[in-house]
Amino acid sequence: MSPELEKCPRSLLVCEKSNFLNEKSRHDIHVSKHNFNYKISVLIPDCEALPANISSAFHSFSSYYLVRELPVYQLLEETFIESHVKKGNFYALSYNTKIDEENTIALLSSGQLILSLDKDTYEQLGLEGRPSLYNHKKAMRFVVTLDLTDKSLTPGTKRYQRVLSSLKDRLPLRYDFLLTKYNTGSDEDQTLIKLLSQYSYEEHKPAFSHHTLKNIPCPTLYPSDIQGKTLSCDPHHFLEWLGAVNLDISCENAADSFLSTYVCPEPQSSVSQALLCTVTGFISPENVFVLLQELRQYIDEPKFTPWISLTVHGFMDSPVSWGATEHGFLKGGENLYNFVCFKNQDYWLHMATGAQDGCPP
Amino acid sequence: FPGVVQSRIPPEQSDILGVESQHGTAADALTKAFLKNSLPHMKDEDVEEMMLRKAVVLEYKRPMKKKGKTRKAKGLNAKERRQLKIFQLKPEHQKYDLFLPLHELWKQYIVDLCNGLKPGSNPQMIQQKLLKADFHGAVLTVVRSKCPSYVGLTGILVQELKHVFKIITKEDKLKVIPKRNSVFSVEIGDFVTHIYGSKFELRSSERSAKKFKIKGTIDL
Repeated sequence: MSPELEKCPRSLLVCEKSNFLNEKSRHDIHVSKHNFNYKISVLIPDCEALPANISSAFHSFSSYYLVRELPVYQLLEETFIESHVKKGNFYALSYNTKIDEENTIALLSSGQLILSLDKDTYEQLGLEGRPSLYNHKKAMRFVVTLDLTDKSLTPGTKRYQRVLSSLKDRLPLRYDFLLTKYNTGSDEDQTLIKLLSQYSYEEHKPAFSHHTLKNIPCPTLYPSDIQGKTLSCDPHHFLEWLGAVNLDISCENAADSFLSTYVCPEPQSSVSQALLCTVTGFISPENVFVLLQELRQYIDEPKFTPWISLTVHGFMDSPVSWGATEHGFLKGGENLYNFVCFKNQDYWLHMATGAQDGCPP
Repeated sequence: FPGVVQSRIPPEQSDILGVESQHGTAADALTKAFLKNSLPHMKDEDVEEMMLRKAVVLEYKRPMKKKGKTRKAKGLNAKERRQLKIFQLKPEHQKYDLFLPLHELWKQYIVDLCNGLKPGSNPQMIQQKLLKADFHGAVLTVVRSKCPSYVGLTGILVQELKHVFKIITKEDKLKVIPKRNSVFSVEIGDFVTHIYGSKFELRSSERSAKKFKIKGTIDL
């Protein structure tokens, strides 16, 4: 590769194909590991109206809370850990903090609290961490990982005292947080609301919208050929087309149009109508999984629809992408994955990340 | 007085020596003059006093102090100092309360040095004075450090060596903190001063003579 090309920031695309019913299929792990999801979009070609089960799945998404000026040490409080962190399915992400400029805090469902700090904060706070993987020559960014479920951090130990006093007295960090919890029972909400009532917070439901596209060309995809060598198209082109459709960019490639030269990849077929739904908010992976189940059920029913695509976008400013893999923002902080579900439960999974990201699992 | 002062040389010897002994009065006069010259210029009574018998104890003579060249005290090498362990605090001495009086003394010293710490005093002037001050007995706190485990340590400074501070914490623990890559804060009355350890890597005795340059901001 020529040296100029090597300097360009790289992006990764990992493609997997398997069957949902295969016991070795890792689709559930991939979904659950991607902790922070911002936007979900579903494209169903050859569909007139929004199916009922999918609509109910969308509306069952749990709501999320936006808390203003929550001090970080609150996430370490004993009651909080007992009632929320230890039970799992609790996600928190600092809101409106840029990953490459400011400090970012994230709480994963596995109980790990990840603090991505700039140099000054790290030196003043006094908690041990390691330099970020995406530092240039001088270490400017440090990542502190605290496992709240670990024995050494049980309330009462010396280490817990030190961490708590660092975050409380030495350098009290306060940020706006997005919190969500996938709750199976409704009573657990009360404890969370009681905790949040000390600060100003708002409850939001993920914003849902859908519309029908008419007469659009759709690529024909064959489940066996994911790489696009013989039958289908190249995954890059497919994802590009998918993005264009999501953003309502015309793919005519008319000779007199200078705005867009996107084309629908070959082989294609024209479709009279297609349904596009989008949900934006702070969505937990469990909701995504429920939606995926509904989509699988939908495509199993006899229909014209050849395939369904489900795209999930992660947060640009999240400190982690999949699991605890560090994520950074170089020229774009994309970390997304896309399911294409076919009949008889075959699926394709594309996982794409930007430059400062580890390889998706 | 008794004793023979003069006598005639026997004739054989006078031949050998080639001198002739003088006779009579000339000899007497010569002898008298010679004796007068030899004796110290003192009165007769003093001479008598001098000749009084003084007992001399022969065997128990006091040894004469050999003066020799006065060598300057060279001081001990670092090796010898380490062997003597003069800078090691024994465990029974490592009590925080024992050093509190030292801290009080240091506070007094600093207040005197800065001509009384009024809230309105000029920080620049105090800064200049503090650069040459001695910090033994001050309460130091690590505020920032490249190594996060040092942050938050507080204690009374027991010893300042070239590259480290030795402080004793409230839990009676003696901690050794390297000066490099750390920022220490010292509280004096209402003032708080921050010491950038990397620039302070001098023995406290040498620091009083050093001129510090003014830099904009210092990053660790």
